[in-house]
Amino acid sequence: MSMSKEDDLSSNSELLSDVFQYLLDCIIVDVASESHRIARLGLDRNLDEEEEELRLSADARARTSETCHSSEANGKYIVDIFGQTHPPIANEIFDCMNCGRSIMAGRFAPHLEKCMGKGRKARLKSTRSSTASQTNRYSRGSPLSSQSPYSNSTALNQLPNGSAGNEHLNGALEEP
Amino acid sequence: MSRRHSVNRPPTPDVRDDDEDDRPKEPTLLEIVNIKLIESGEKERLMELVRERLVECGWKDEMRALCRAFIKKNGRENVTVDDLVRAITPKGRASIPDSVKAELLQKIRTFLVSVAH
Repeated sequence: MSMSKEDDLSSNSELLSDVFQYLLDCIIVDVASESHRIARLGLDRNLDEEEEELRLSADARARTSETCHSSEANGKYIVDIFGQTHPPIANEIFDCMNCGRSIMAGRFAPHLEKCMGKGRKARLKSTRSSTASQTNRYSRGSPLSSQSPYSNSTALNQLPNGSAGNEHLNGALEEP
Repeated sequence: MSRRHSVNRPPTPDVRDDDEDDRPKEPTLLEIVNIKLIESGEKERLMELVRERLVECGWKDEMRALCRAFIKKNGRENVTVDDLVRAITPKGRASIPDSVKAELLQKIRTFLVSVAH
């Protein structure tokens, strides 16, 4: 494209706006064509105003009636916006990572309290080192003296196995 | 059938008498640029960019609302694409946001410069 400088500038700016208008017109035609298609195929449900009003009021009526009937009226569960209900106590079952028992999720916190040692009634898990086992033996000393003879003998039996078995027995004794 | 066509295409231009000596018609500058735009893929990129910008700023929604209003007024079955184009073009051209216009002009300018060399 060889042109003189003056021609260059004026025709360039004219060309620029021409190209701009051209692209814009393409897009306008696209939008018009899309709207036309939707209208002619009847894909636009809201085209008729009166039926839209009727539909909106019918929808609103349905929505209020279903919210009234769902949650408190039933008495039991609360329904969330996705229509799901949740039981008051979580009932998924999994294994406790401390003692390995199957626990219900809703009962996990109380279980952990007993399992991990909030106080004298629970035992700590023993480790392999001799110091740890010594400490365990010492700590077992006091519970043994304060508990009933039944637990005494079973505790003695469990000694070589470590404290895991103890927890089981303790848990069985304590839990309702 | 007196039914209007949905899309009115202008009739194919007749061959003029001067062209009978087989001289090829001189393409306009716009046509040349258009061909270059399409060949390089720049037209597709520009169109996508502009479409995205116009959706973001709500221009497309405005245009579609105008179309719907027009269709509601004139009846769904009687409307042609050309009617709609004619109805929304003035408002459409006027309501382009300045930022979008500037961005597009800049990109076209860059393209023209790259093509001229």
